[in-house]
Amino acid sequence: MSETAQEKWGMVIDLDRCNGCQACVTACSLENNVGFVGEESAAYGRGMHWIRIQRYWEGEYPNITARFRPVMCQQCGHAPCEPVCPVFATYHSEAEQINVQVYNRCIGTRYCANNCPYVARTFNWFDWEWPEPLNEQLNPDVTVRRRGIMEKCTFCIQRIRKGEEDAEAEGREVADGEIQPACAQACPADAIVFGNLADPESRVSRLARSARAEKLLEELGTETKVIYLKGGSSRDR
Amino acid sequence: MPLKTRLRLPALVLIALFVVVVAAAAVLGSKSAQAQAEQPIAFNHSVHVEELGVPCLYCHSNAQRGQSAGLPTLEKCQGCHSQIDPGDSQALQDLARYAEENKPIQWVPVALQPDFVYFSHRPHVNAGLNCESCHGDVGQMTVAEPQGDMNMGWCLSCHKKLAPERFVKLSDCATCHK
Ligand code: HEC
Ligand code: HEC
Ligand code: HEC
Ligand code: HEC
Ligand code: HEC
Repeated sequence: MSETAQEKWGMVIDLDRCNGCQACVTACSLENNVGFVGEESAAYGRGMHWIRIQRYWEGEYPNITARFRPVMCQQCGHAPCEPVCPVFATYHSEAEQINVQVYNRCIGTRYCANNCPYVARTFNWFDWEWPEPLNEQLNPDVTVRRRGIMEKCTFCIQRIRKGEEDAEAEGREVADGEIQPACAQACPADAIVFGNLADPESRVSRLARSARAEKLLEELGTETKVIYLKGGSSRDR
Repeated sequence: MPLKTRLRLPALVLIALFVVVVAAAAVLGSKSAQAQAEQPIAFNHSVHVEELGVPCLYCHSNAQRGQSAGLPTLEKCQGCHSQIDPGDSQALQDLARYAEENKPIQWVPVALQPDFVYFSHRPHVNAGLNCESCHGDVGQMTVAEPQGDMNMGWCLSCHKKLAPERFVKLSDCATCHK
């Protein structure tokens, strides 16, 4: 394996724009058929969202500000979750350069989740039922996962697949901004930008070169594909 | 000890019987599950394709454009059949009844992948594959029949054969699994 991971899909999240509204979390759950576990199960640590909003307090009361950081699978180029899967259900996609979970291959050992430094993986404790007419809300492009398997953010791979297939059928390249995961699409502050990091001119690449750019736990050498922008405090914006 | 040995034989016979019954049930069960369910109307491909020369894409027109090939609507059938006298053909009378009640025909799926598989007709049709290479000679069939196992090995071996230069992408789990 090469020292620097190859690049393709990436995401930039501008924390100076994020106001913690959770629209991305909701959009993600709806797009990806993620169930809502309810308060009690969440208290047992069985919550099932693929994005979480971490909240921080900045300053001293009364001059206090809330800051937020949406965290999802960071799509590591060198992913700690991959080598520990005994059945190769999680693997690195050569073609898309992201970390993929093959749900019907997964046997639920949870090694991957234990080895993920970002705590980005979600174990599915439940068999979901979507009684009529709620089943109409399910996205047919995403499997409804069974109980007992691991799941996580996929950068909405179903949308990537569709965008690439559309472009190929029309004999052209995928345009910048054509493919958007649900979270980026839903973000009212335009804090989430998705695109091709291999194209230096794409919007995501230009933002990733910003002086405000940082990655989570970069010292681990995970080569993550999610880049956070974090500037001064929100007060001097 | 002797008591035990005496018990063992009948027990074995019982177990063997049980195994045979379960196995038979499984075999018969899976046979009947595989036997094709009857279609709501005895639609005959060979009449339309062989005798009338209607192209596949006239009825399955989405195959070039999208993921599923699609089945024709009742309106499409009626485009011709509103002009055709059903006579004493049972199937045509069935069709006329659907048309009268304006009720969609619930065709029974024949070629069907599991939920977790992503398959799309568009890239295959655009790559110049004809329908017969996967579905068999449907044009000759009186009843559309499933063709062998459309399983993962089948997909992969064709990808390897026909598009070796793109095999990295075409063998990536995420290409076919959703
Ligand atoms: C590469 C193999 C392949 C080729 C070529 C192909 N099909 Fe299919 N077809 C499939 C598979 C696999 C399914 C099952 C899809 C599913 O269940 O998602 C299917 C399903 C169908 C169905 C039923 C479900 C649907 O998609 O509407 C129809 C009708 C159909 N094909 C017609 C056609 C026609 C007409 C052509 C030629 C234009 C064609 N197919 C070419 C593999 C193929
Ligand atoms: C292009 C015109 C056309 C279309 C479209 C068409 N048919 Fe037909 N169909 C015919 C003709 C012509 C016959 C032959 C009638 C005869 O033999 O009297 C026929 C015969 C039939 C028969 C009788 C076959 C037999 O075994 O004798 C059935 C059943 C039938 N069609 C059903 C349908 C259905 C269902 C559809 C829609 C999915 C459909 N057809 C669409 C033209 C068409
Ligand atoms: C006149 C319209 C018509 C034409 C032309 C036609 N079909 Fe069909 N086809 C149907 C209808 C209606 C069904 C559903 C009933 C059935 O399965 O027999 C069907 C079913 C099928 C199925 C099974 C779909 C499933 O549910 O899984 C396949 C495969 C198929 N057609 C392929 C073809 C191919 C290949 C051709 C060209 C050689 C063709 N069809 C031409 C009307 C048509
Ligand atoms: C008869 C040969 C054949 C069979 C069988 C076949 N494929 Fe394909 N498939 C192809 C060819 C050829 C391409 C197009 C390659 C290209 O455009 O470079 C393709 C492309 C694809 C693509 C599009 C990938 C992309 O990004 O371009 C998908 C998805 C796919 N196949 C899935 C499947 C699945 C799932 C099955 C089994 C159910 C299957 N294929 C069976 C020949 C086949
Ligand atoms: C070219 C398309 C294609 C690719 C690439 C592919 N699969 Fe599959 N896979 C299928 C199809 C179609 C089925 C369903 C039919 C069957 O059971 O064989 C399937 C079935 C499976 C099953 C059986 C599931 C069950 O419940 O029966 C597993 C496990 C699986 N795939 C894992 C993988 C893994 C892991 C990879 C990547 C290394 C992969 N597949 C790549 C098409 C594909």
